[in-house]
Amino acid sequence: MASVKDQLTDDHQELYDTAMARRYFAKFERITGHLLQVTTEVETEGRLTRVEARILARYLTALTATFAALSQKYLMTGRADGAPKLTFDRHESGFPVAQELMVMALDAAQVAKHLGGMAAVSDLKDRMVRQIVRDLTVPTALQFALSQRLYYESLAAGGLFWARNDPDLQWIADISRDGGDRKHFLLHWAVYDTQMNLPVVYLMDVEDSGAKPLPHDDRRWPLLQSHLMAQSLTGLKLLTIAQGVDQDFAGLHPKRLRRITLGPMHSHDFTLQSGPISQVLADANAPDGNDWAMVWTAEDLVSDREEEVKDGWFSTAERQVFRLDPFNGAASGTTRTERMVILPERPYQVLAELNPPGFRDVRKFVVGDAGRIMPA
Amino acid sequence: MADFDAQIKESQAQVATAQAKISEVTGRIEAARAKLDAGEAAIDIENATLTDVHQHTELMNANIAELIMGLDDVTAGFSKDFDDMRSKTGMESFIGIFSDAKSESMRQERMRTASIDSKLQDLISKSDIIVRLLQGQLDLLNSQKTRVEKNLGDTLAEREATVGALEGVRAEIASMDPRIIELENKISVEQDATARTKLETDLAGLNARFNALVQDEQVQLAKSQTLERYIEKGKTWVDSLTNQAATQLVLINKLQTDTKQRVVLYDALTSSLKTAQQQDVAHRINEIGVKTDQEAQAAMAAIGSATNDRMADMLEAHEGHMVFARAVLEQKAKADERFARRFAKIVEKHDKNAYGE
Repeated sequence: MASVKDQLTDDHQELYDTAMARRYFAKFERITGHLLQVTTEVETEGRLTRVEARILARYLTALTATFAALSQKYLMTGRADGAPKLTFDRHESGFPVAQELMVMALDAAQVAKHLGGMAAVSDLKDRMVRQIVRDLTVPTALQFALSQRLYYESLAAGGLFWARNDPDLQWIADISRDGGDRKHFLLHWAVYDTQMNLPVVYLMDVEDSGAKPLPHDDRRWPLLQSHLMAQSLTGLKLLTIAQGVDQDFAGLHPKRLRRITLGPMHSHDFTLQSGPISQVLADANAPDGNDWAMVWTAEDLVSDREEEVKDGWFSTAERQVFRLDPFNGAASGTTRTERMVILPERPYQVLAELNPPGFRDVRKFVVGDAGRIMPA
Repeated sequence: MADFDAQIKESQAQVATAQAKISEVTGRIEAARAKLDAGEAAIDIENATLTDVHQHTELMNANIAELIMGLDDVTAGFSKDFDDMRSKTGMESFIGIFSDAKSESMRQERMRTASIDSKLQDLISKSDIIVRLLQGQLDLLNSQKTRVEKNLGDTLAEREATVGALEGVRAEIASMDPRIIELENKISVEQDATARTKLETDLAGLNARFNALVQDEQVQLAKSQTLERYIEKGKTWVDSLTNQAATQLVLINKLQTDTKQRVVLYDALTSSLKTAQQQDVAHRINEIGVKTDQEAQAAMAAIGSATNDRMADMLEAHEGHMVFARAVLEQKAKADERFARRFAKIVEKHDKNAYGE
């Protein structure tokens, strides 16, 4: 039997081939574009507020930028000597492994050093032309240098989705409850889950009854930030995370917590999948560019009521009791869980014909001609 | 991690020396080539120089292999973190004397903020430093190899030309023999003095040409032999460079695979520890409702100690707990095996106090 270490990395796969690597990145460029459209669609349905949709769109744009940066880094895979290769998780993810993002963070920390020691883009191009004209050879080494230059430039430009995107907050409204004044904040943060290798966005509606508003409260806000990052594990149920915040921070009342998991991305050519989606993609036999299905899971936990408890000899605190799904709330720890799948027309046709039981209550979005999104 | 940094510095110095030595040998080969072009026949690449380089690179590789193994010690820090997560701190134990529930809830709170992210990043960056060191060495080896190979290609072509010229000279010498014999025969039967003198002059001219050709043959032969010796040396050097490059590749491969697997493993372990600890408690409290706070506290303490036992089991035998139902794939690099083959001794030495596995 293979060791645990081997088993844990069994489904990590490297992209060796230039054409494959480029196809992989082209696929994600298209998919992240569609995700933005779906966000707009869900917003018009009224299930995300304007603010929430904008925050989500910001993370999606960052994700697009990350993929663009990685595609520069791995542009010369298989062509230049020593060019790095992308490792991705090919089982129930389809995204690059979390380490790719950790290494990217490391590169970003040294970006000034790299850019300082590199020739400028125009210079590199000039030398390429000269090598082509004079030596009649392909300037592979210069091409590699240019790809790395572009990679570091995109890191320097910023706006990327990192392995950890620390919490930020947005004031929503002042409210008055039971005679006390409270502020309603929307907290949002995102992590790249290291277990599943998927980007995960968290949105938390929290009411603040503290004397000092949360963003200016040095006693709570930095602690809350690190607390939330340390708790952002997919293995933890929303109920657990929300209760942890409720207990550990005085004056903070988490009212609603949402977790949006972007992915997995399924593709017959790239990933291994279990369940009906595997059959769907195999039967669709779609051409390059249409061979994918992207799943998106939104978990939602809402507070049911607030109760007062004694938390010391003379003091009391408000604690939330959360509403759990009556059927499988005990297992999921959420009020409701919704799954959506975005896929091109051809796989959708097959999906509709097969109509597998597991997919009946999954919302489907179809990418039609000219990239329009249609809810199905 | 002063130890690690010191070791890195030492390795960097060794790599620099090795690179200087390697460049020097290639430089000598190129200088010899220039001398050949100038017509000198001496070649001063001694076997001793090659051996010296080999000894040094071996030392360097052993040191880097130690460094890779040394990462194990860096990672031993993780196990302390894991232990901390499941045991109580001094303060928590002290409070536990008065109130089990309070002590348990303190530990839970500590658990919620525990994170190994920065340690993981540290591990990745350290391993990245070593990879860069190795990659630099590999690049140098490859560029030297290309240079020497190009040089050898030119020399081979030259040697071919020399051998061709030698053959030509030999053919001409062979073709002269019958003409000389013919002339000598003619002289021995010639009666007329004038004609005889003319024949003798011809023979003398022919003989002079013959001698010149023989001398030319010697020169060409010597040149061809020199070139051959040069090619031999060059080939040995290319072989050696190829071999060294292979070693570097194995080291890089091993290190990258190891780091990848470690990061995933530690992450999985942290995640399961945190999950096991908190999940039950959260549900139980939500079920009971917060009115009965006392009861909830008691329940939390009970569940806390129960999950604690479970976590202890998990740590001891996490192999069994973390077997994921995932397809076993064919493309697993055999990096460990190759590494072990090359560095069997170091591995053996290190395994006696190794962490992990």
